[in-house]
Amino acid sequence: MKSKQSWLNARISNLRAKTETEQQRLERLKQEVLGEGEAASRPTRRSFLTRLGFGATLLALAGQAYAFLRSLKPNVLYEAPQRFKVGTPDQFGEGGKFLEDKRLFVFRQGKTFYAISASCTHLGCTVKMEKLNQPKKVKTRQREFEEQYEFHCPCHGSKYYGDGTNYAGPAPRPLDYFKLELAAEDGQLIVDMEQKVGQDFRLTV
Amino acid sequence: MAARKSTWEKITWTWQPASEREAGDSIVRNFLLHWFPAKVARESLSWGYSFWLGTVSAVLFLILTITGGVLMFLYVPSVERAYLSVKDLEFTVSFGWFLRGLHRIGAHLMVAFVFVHMVRVFLTGAYKNGTATQQNRPLNWVIGVVLLLATLLLSFTGYLLPWDQLAYWAITVGTNIASAAPVVGEAMRFILLGGNTIEQGTLIRFYVLHCFFLPLLVLALFSYHMWRVRKDGGLACVDKQALDQKREKVVPSKSKTYSLLGIASGASVHVETSLVDEVQHTVPSSPTLTRRLALVTMVTLALSSVLTLLFHAPLEAAANPAVTPNPAKAPWYFLWLQELVTITTFTVGGYTINGALIGGIIIPGLLVAAAIAWPYFDKSSVRSVGVWFAPERRKQNLIFLLVVAGILLFTIIGTYLRGPYWNWYWPWQSWPVMPRKF
Ligand code: FES
Repeated sequence: MKSKQSWLNARISNLRAKTETEQQRLERLKQEVLGEGEAASRPTRRSFLTRLGFGATLLALAGQAYAFLRSLKPNVLYEAPQRFKVGTPDQFGEGGKFLEDKRLFVFRQGKTFYAISASCTHLGCTVKMEKLNQPKKVKTRQREFEEQYEFHCPCHGSKYYGDGTNYAGPAPRPLDYFKLELAAEDGQLIVDMEQKVGQDFRLTV
Repeated sequence: MAARKSTWEKITWTWQPASEREAGDSIVRNFLLHWFPAKVARESLSWGYSFWLGTVSAVLFLILTITGGVLMFLYVPSVERAYLSVKDLEFTVSFGWFLRGLHRIGAHLMVAFVFVHMVRVFLTGAYKNGTATQQNRPLNWVIGVVLLLATLLLSFTGYLLPWDQLAYWAITVGTNIASAAPVVGEAMRFILLGGNTIEQGTLIRFYVLHCFFLPLLVLALFSYHMWRVRKDGGLACVDKQALDQKREKVVPSKSKTYSLLGIASGASVHVETSLVDEVQHTVPSSPTLTRRLALVTMVTLALSSVLTLLFHAPLEAAANPAVTPNPAKAPWYFLWLQELVTITTFTVGGYTINGALIGGIIIPGLLVAAAIAWPYFDKSSVRSVGVWFAPERRKQNLIFLLVVAGILLFTIIGTYLRGPYWNWYWPWQSWPVMPRKF
């Protein structure tokens, strides 16, 4: 056991000595080839060119990465326009009409019109309009009114009064109202979903 | 081994070595066996310690890769044709329903098994270093967390592809949660959707993520994960065994040769044997480990095939932006998140914070951060490594189990107790007949 131990020790110190010279050799080579270590303070042409090469490569890679990532952001969108005609006022009966493909409710009360988004303000599901069995008196925004219908969201259960004010569930704010206009040329209603308006907005025709 | 080998034997000898020596050789010679050490501790092969959960997850990933590859021949990632091509898979392609079903069940099982694997690793304290040198188990735990996230993302991007109602509303809710992130949110949603609205650009982006980038990520990380297991000296229960032996003052067997490679870098000569007594406690990897591996593979394949036959893969109506299904439910493994975003909208002084930010980003973000940081704060001793429910780690395990229980509770609530308009319904209450769509 004893002799084995000393043999092991000898073998190890042998190995360490060897690795040390290896390291010294590496150090020397580094200095010679890359100009690192002490010699680095005095850049040689070789070390300068090496750095230039590495730098250029890094720059090129960064450029490639940027080009790749930038290409993911579309510059041209082929999406449906956010401003569109929805028909002449007399095509709308009293009450609300759901325009499916626009996810939009257009309401008519006598001579006035307004448009409410059907996209839930929580996470964007399409709210459903629920006709109430009997009108309910509600007080919201310092006003009292009798509501005939409400909006309910199927995804996480947000509830909105008939004027779009949220009163239950996780929705953080009322449903959006969009601007309505009359087209000068043919008298059609125009909805502009880019322009949000207040909950009191009404278009009178 | 003087007898001449037949061609068959020449091909398969690494899988059925005839001697100890051949068993060792086979590991070196066989490409597939390179992941294994020549000998493994018997303990780490036991069913009761690891339940082979990681292996099952890996096998499921293999099944998913193969079925997914076949599905790519048959599926068209276009908004006009995606739904129809999945319908074709169901009704006109020979065994198309089985392929799709297996792919789907495999995905469900993989989410479940990767998660349970994580729970197992935590409860056995296996993310901690034992006594052997050059271990970095905390790193492997972190890689595991990333693998779990990648698995969830793979599932998410996967169920968008049929472009049915589930897909459409999941992507609506999912990308709106992303946009709730501070500062980068809106830009992130724009990049994910490839625009402002959910259209062709969105589908192709998720398709490429699902079929190329995410699997590539999982493959790379999984390989590293496995390699690290070997670098760490095998499963954590082996560390425990070595520790027990050292306590018993077992003299290493004579035949043991010490590698000197690790010594030169250290400051002093210190030969540490963290290995278990090889003669007594280890067996050749080939064929012991390989045989079990084959068994686990077969059972996993059989299980997922049977489940595929039992549970038919549903396909909802084609995507319809106008009508959200009521209730619109995520797959079971995201229901706890759906419950979270539901109950976390808060109003502070007239200012309302959307539940998407708290329940969709902050809480899950904190959970992930805690999981990643945990191994670096765990100060329990080395004696609790590789032990189920180590008394020393009781408090940690309790906290972890509470979080897991919370997630399970929310999942159960989402699955069984939420009805139309996400209202609360007890199982014995029937859902009202919904009024017609306006
Ligand atoms: S999306 Fe409407 S409640 Fe969440």
